[in-house]
Amino acid sequence: MNRGMVYKSIFIISLIVFAVLLILPTVGTKSMEIRFYDSATEQDIDAVKERFSSDQYKLKINDKTIIVSGRNVTDAIMNEMKIYNGVADAKILDHWAQKFLPAKKITLGLDLQGGMYLVLQADFEGIEKKVGRELTEKDKNEITQQALEIIRNRIDKFGVSEPSIRPRGNEAIEVQLPGVKDPTGVKKAFGDTGTLEYRLVDDTYSKAAMEWFAQNYKDKSLPERFDDLVLVAEDISKAINLPNTLEVLFDYDRNHDTGVVSPKYPMVLQKEISLSGTDIQEATVDRDERGRVVVAFKTTADGSLKFAKVTSEQNHGRRLAIVLDKKIRSAPAIQTTITAGAGTITGSFTYNEALVLARVIKEGALPVSLKIAEERTVGPSLGQDSIEAGVKAFLIGLAGIFIFAIVYYKAAGIIADFGLVLNLVFSIAILSMLGFTLTIPGIAGMLLSIGMAIDANVLIYERIKEELRRGKSVRIAIENGFDRVFWTIFDANLTTILAAFILYQYGTGPIKGFAVTLFVGILVSMFVALYVTRYVYELMSLNKKMTKLSI
Amino acid sequence: MERTIDFLKYRYIAIGASLLFIIVLGIGTFMKGGFNYGIDFVGGHKIIAKFQDSQDVPVNEGVIRRALSDFGAKVQQIGDESKKTYIIITKLEEAASDNVQNDDKVPVSKIELLKKALNEKFPGVSIESEETVGPSIGDYLRKAAWKLSLMAIVLMSVYLAFRFEIKFAVGGMVALIHDIVMSIVFCGFMGIEIDIQVLAALLTLYGYSINDTIVIFDRIRETNQLESKITFTEIINKAITQTMTRTILTSLTTLFAILALFFFGGETLHDFSLVLIVGIIIGTYSSIFIASPVVYGWEKLVAKK
Repeated sequence: MNRGMVYKSIFIISLIVFAVLLILPTVGTKSMEIRFYDSATEQDIDAVKERFSSDQYKLKINDKTIIVSGRNVTDAIMNEMKIYNGVADAKILDHWAQKFLPAKKITLGLDLQGGMYLVLQADFEGIEKKVGRELTEKDKNEITQQALEIIRNRIDKFGVSEPSIRPRGNEAIEVQLPGVKDPTGVKKAFGDTGTLEYRLVDDTYSKAAMEWFAQNYKDKSLPERFDDLVLVAEDISKAINLPNTLEVLFDYDRNHDTGVVSPKYPMVLQKEISLSGTDIQEATVDRDERGRVVVAFKTTADGSLKFAKVTSEQNHGRRLAIVLDKKIRSAPAIQTTITAGAGTITGSFTYNEALVLARVIKEGALPVSLKIAEERTVGPSLGQDSIEAGVKAFLIGLAGIFIFAIVYYKAAGIIADFGLVLNLVFSIAILSMLGFTLTIPGIAGMLLSIGMAIDANVLIYERIKEELRRGKSVRIAIENGFDRVFWTIFDANLTTILAAFILYQYGTGPIKGFAVTLFVGILVSMFVALYVTRYVYELMSLNKKMTKLSI
Repeated sequence: MERTIDFLKYRYIAIGASLLFIIVLGIGTFMKGGFNYGIDFVGGHKIIAKFQDSQDVPVNEGVIRRALSDFGAKVQQIGDESKKTYIIITKLEEAASDNVQNDDKVPVSKIELLKKALNEKFPGVSIESEETVGPSIGDYLRKAAWKLSLMAIVLMSVYLAFRFEIKFAVGGMVALIHDIVMSIVFCGFMGIEIDIQVLAALLTLYGYSINDTIVIFDRIRETNQLESKITFTEIINKAITQTMTRTILTSLTTLFAILALFFFGGETLHDFSLVLIVGIIIGTYSSIFIASPVVYGWEKLVAKK
């Protein structure tokens, strides 16, 4: 074995080990920690135990926490747990492989784990009437982005973890809520427009609240659920003797990647509303003379008077909180008196952060009401049936292809089958790394790409056979076989990749899933057939005495 | 040396047969009143419900359909009869979809009524899943489907023209359109409900169909470079013959996978896999009998000038 082959062997083996580690969080057992309130009764705990009584699950009970492990522990089940009596929190624990690898896991789509899927559209006609002109594509896109921001701001009202909220095209928003139990409550949360207020911050009490917070929340984070947060606010108010002209609210931060907003620290505001959202007419992102990103706004005629008052001399240096649906989204300090009916908010924000703030302010100026254009709810048991059917079809299809390859190509078929197994491992590893959501069409896409993956092997083997028929030696036949089909496989697969790319553009959830699995499957199959399988044959042809090939 | 089959000889028969097939199924679709669009396209409701056997009447499709006759519901059994699980579909009436004002109110209340009726007439029924699609979505889907089909055809032709020659791009494009049109009229003729998944299957065929064709084109190109003494007719026939085993094997393995989906994948994947099965057969046929003859015809046309 020469040095090149040694490196190749090391590379391929480490790739396989890495891929196997990556798929562990997806295919291995998952654990969920259920924490009870101290006040939880025996019955409460028994009810949870009862839920997981089947052999699928293993329970570890430790006073007021239960750890459930099993293959079938999903986000939907986690969300189901949260509404059980006495349950304080439920969360799915990271798999050990996730702790030191960039591994995420494949989550199940709503069609497989149950939940609610909604497509929302902004009420464009209503807005057209209000602004008195027809909306352009750009307007619609901006309005949809604003609506998206409002929905993210309300995420806690759905009472679910792992929600997915994303735009579909320019005009619609897709919301996926795994395991949601109360569709009416969710629909209500979308029903009303956002309320935006501008309120002055009380610095003395804010400082006191922060001190309390630093002491009591040293190593835990604030609860996501709004109702729980209200309790925390009550605790703070009591602890710092808050007069009833003031109120504790929380400052929210927006996660860069997911766009999800979550509470970060408390702040004390005056109950009196200095300006209401409708006092501002327009907000845009701009740059100031020093090139910094700013949010520029214009007030209405009414608003201009109120603004002059609130930004008058005596308030300079104080902060004015921008509050959307009782959540503080920003609290810029007042620097000068604004009388001209226009001003800017400066801060150390990035362009995107400024854009988000401008959208929040706009929600006050031009509230967007949402319509439900599409709604799908899947019960958990139906999802379970679908998984079983999908997995069964997948395994049968796979077995069919396996047997076919061995019957037709004999020993070479075994190598092709080994390639298919690797294909599957690599594909799942990549999808895990992407944090992919698997749906029924996704399973179909995977199986289809396996069906097509063997194509690369067929092309190579047929070519080798042809070369052998022409009387070439085994080594030359293998070499020519792989060399000659490289471009054939490249051209043929590239078009399928184009098709997958086009499907992906189509944008709606299930088709996207199908496209991604097809795309990943084809890329992986090219790599496995042209690199790994070739390596196996190169290894075999090191044996100089080999004069016959079982193909 | 192996025997070369004269595929080009059958080109007129093949083209005639394809045209006949498309025309007959097209007329058939037309006579049936056009395509059967699913609720994804026209808006409506879909409920999957599990029924309990009541004391005296056994539950079956007919019983449910009659009980819901006010709604004009379509009822279909899923899986085994013993599972007592049925899909109930009602589409939006034309009037409702034209009326913007009703746009989101009609469907919402109608599904509530439907669920109420189910609960009254079949005590113990449990709703496993429900879907509501407003009429505005279908429009978006239809537009996007056309746009993407056009994109697929253009992108793939450009790729073929770039990697091969114009004549191959023309052949590939004709075969692609042939496959898609044939699959669509098949759906129409068989009354397959065109929903999002069937659409995904159709769009996938763009990739599959051209994949098969390219392998043959690749061989024509190679043979053309290697052997200068034989005619273009012979080159094409030789290339198709040499890749024949591969064409059949690959179609078979892909069919295996999809047949498994068709038989075991559950109700949701039934139509999806059926369209893929038919599409793959059509795609294999067209890459042999349609794509290459078009390349040949184009070559002759250009040579004449």
